[in-house]
Amino acid sequence: MSILIDHNTKVLIQGMTGKEGAKAATAMLEYGTKVVCGVTPGKGGQEVEGKPIFNSLKEAFVRFPDITTSAIYVPPFAAKAAVLEAIENNIPTINVIVERIPIRDTAYFLAAAREKNIRVIGPSSLGYIAPGIGRIGVVGGPLVQEIFQPGSIGVISRSGGMTNELSWQIRKAGMGQSAAVHVGGDLLMGTTYGDLLKLFQEDAQTKAVVIFGEHGGWYEFEVVEMIKNKQFTKPLAVYVGGKFAHLFPEGMTVGHAGAIVGRGQSAEEKSRTLADVGVMVAERYEDLVTLIQPFA
Amino acid sequence: MNLYEFEGKQLFEKYGIAVPRGCVVRRGDDAAHAYQELDVKDVVVKSQVLSGKRGKNNGIKFCSSADEVARVAAELFDSPIRGQYVAAVRIEEKLEIAKEHYVSIIYDTRTKQPVLVYSARGGMDIEDVPESEIQKYALDVRQEKIGLDIPYAEELWRCFLQEDARLVEINPLVQTVDGRYVAADAKIAIDEDAGFRHKEWTFEPRTLMGRLPTEREEMVKAIDAGEAYYRGTAGKYIEMDGDIAILFSGGGASIANMDALIKAGLKPANYTEYSGNPPREKVHALAKIVLSKPGLKGLWICGGVANFTNIEETFHGIVDALDEIKPTYPIVVRRAGPYEAEGMELMRACAERNNLRIKLFGKEESMSDTARVLVEMVKN
Repeated sequence: MSILIDHNTKVLIQGMTGKEGAKAATAMLEYGTKVVCGVTPGKGGQEVEGKPIFNSLKEAFVRFPDITTSAIYVPPFAAKAAVLEAIENNIPTINVIVERIPIRDTAYFLAAAREKNIRVIGPSSLGYIAPGIGRIGVVGGPLVQEIFQPGSIGVISRSGGMTNELSWQIRKAGMGQSAAVHVGGDLLMGTTYGDLLKLFQEDAQTKAVVIFGEHGGWYEFEVVEMIKNKQFTKPLAVYVGGKFAHLFPEGMTVGHAGAIVGRGQSAEEKSRTLADVGVMVAERYEDLVTLIQPFA
Repeated sequence: MNLYEFEGKQLFEKYGIAVPRGCVVRRGDDAAHAYQELDVKDVVVKSQVLSGKRGKNNGIKFCSSADEVARVAAELFDSPIRGQYVAAVRIEEKLEIAKEHYVSIIYDTRTKQPVLVYSARGGMDIEDVPESEIQKYALDVRQEKIGLDIPYAEELWRCFLQEDARLVEINPLVQTVDGRYVAADAKIAIDEDAGFRHKEWTFEPRTLMGRLPTEREEMVKAIDAGEAYYRGTAGKYIEMDGDIAILFSGGGASIANMDALIKAGLKPANYTEYSGNPPREKVHALAKIVLSKPGLKGLWICGGVANFTNIEETFHGIVDALDEIKPTYPIVVRRAGPYEAEGMELMRACAERNNLRIKLFGKEESMSDTARVLVEMVKN
């Protein structure tokens, strides 16, 4: 069992003819993910990695009616239209890798997605992986086989690099991952830590979860509420980065777009609140592995 | 990016929100003359800084004559507010206040939509107003009208959407004795990622660091400017007081590593992060500026196991800068990911030809541990 991706996952890439889109297609196919086609307006009829390109999702659906996931690889100014097209075509899961999308555009497509119960992972999400089953996006890069192996730890991270780094620390300690998800570093997160904890709670393979969080935003407090309400009951270890952020004035963004120095949302305040409900809080990110190991 | 009050008020006027009649005086301008031109007897003279609490910190003064205005303006220019640099002074008519309200629109990370916050009690920090006296209305960016019976709610909403704001706040929203509503203050933060559809955004340089942006900060900002702004970024640089130069990669790793550096007892000379597979030229430009800061005692080049950032390409950029500057202080490198072997080989060769004091680590060593290596090297 796994979350977000299984052997029936069929992927379309919007923007597959671009440099990053083509790289992602290769990365996914090499890991055994079923990428079935791509969409780039005006480039219908071409091929990337032997997969057909269509001008629109509508055309793609005629040939591939069972697409389950769209991965979005377009420039930030084209992202809103691309995601809305995926939503209009009722693709159940959308991974948005695009960085620097205006917040108003993100809010727009998240609202549209919610009405149709469509899951958006991102923006600014490099993707996610269920080791041994498949990956969406380029998580793991060319070292994917060295970093990931099937196991019992769920990994959630605000940072793409840290999704990998953390998964590597887990692997190095002899454990494996049930899934690793990069939720993205934007102010508005399509799929939150809380949304993923619900999935990990239901997932029999997952015995414990680690989260790499950051200062700024409300998302860690959602986790606190879920633990209080017993919606998540498995062992959880969290690192909240940004303890140094007090060196900067309130309102300053230090790190990802969502990592804003703000009242009540500092790394210390989040860490304390999480510890109060029994979450294992790591002083350094490397300690996450030591904290979670007994539960693997 | 936060706007100054006078910039915010210009935007408010564009959307039909009344603001007090006023003018802006720059450092070195003739404030008395500006006051006379304004032709209002009783005025408020206000420091223009990027974050609030001006009232409590002597940034707002009342005057009634040209001499007084001249003296007060000069004082304000010399009095930073909570460390914030005073960029200008605004002189405006003093309002006859009957009531002060509060109204703002900001993104709520819980609903992932904007929320309008209103209180009949304005003039103070909204955090200090009891929850029972605050009204919150969940909005939806797809709505054109919000249909609330709150003064200027529609105008503020239009301003929020069309200006791609992250925050718009009127505090206080003054109800005058003659029944008019006037925005006595204006706080706006804009979303710089929407810059591609706002060619009119030509705001003067600024930083929240309580000073003017340094030359190096301005130079780094220019690295990501232009058409390829979203293709691999290397434009983040905040100058700090310490002496350890930082070249981090990845937004998350950079945060974890700042924590680790400070915990190890070192002091950063800057905060810098490049990510998203930037080309050699961008990283070269960034590294060169980071290393140009005087008084450096060490350099930490650190990142996690990259997903798709090409280590060879990005290290090429750093090596270009090291070749030019040839630092004599210790350097610690920790990095892994695509083309890591090629990248490390570049570093090794560069160290050899320039006789650098450098230690190289891959993914076997954790990032925080290499901070401690740097501590030892700096000590000796």
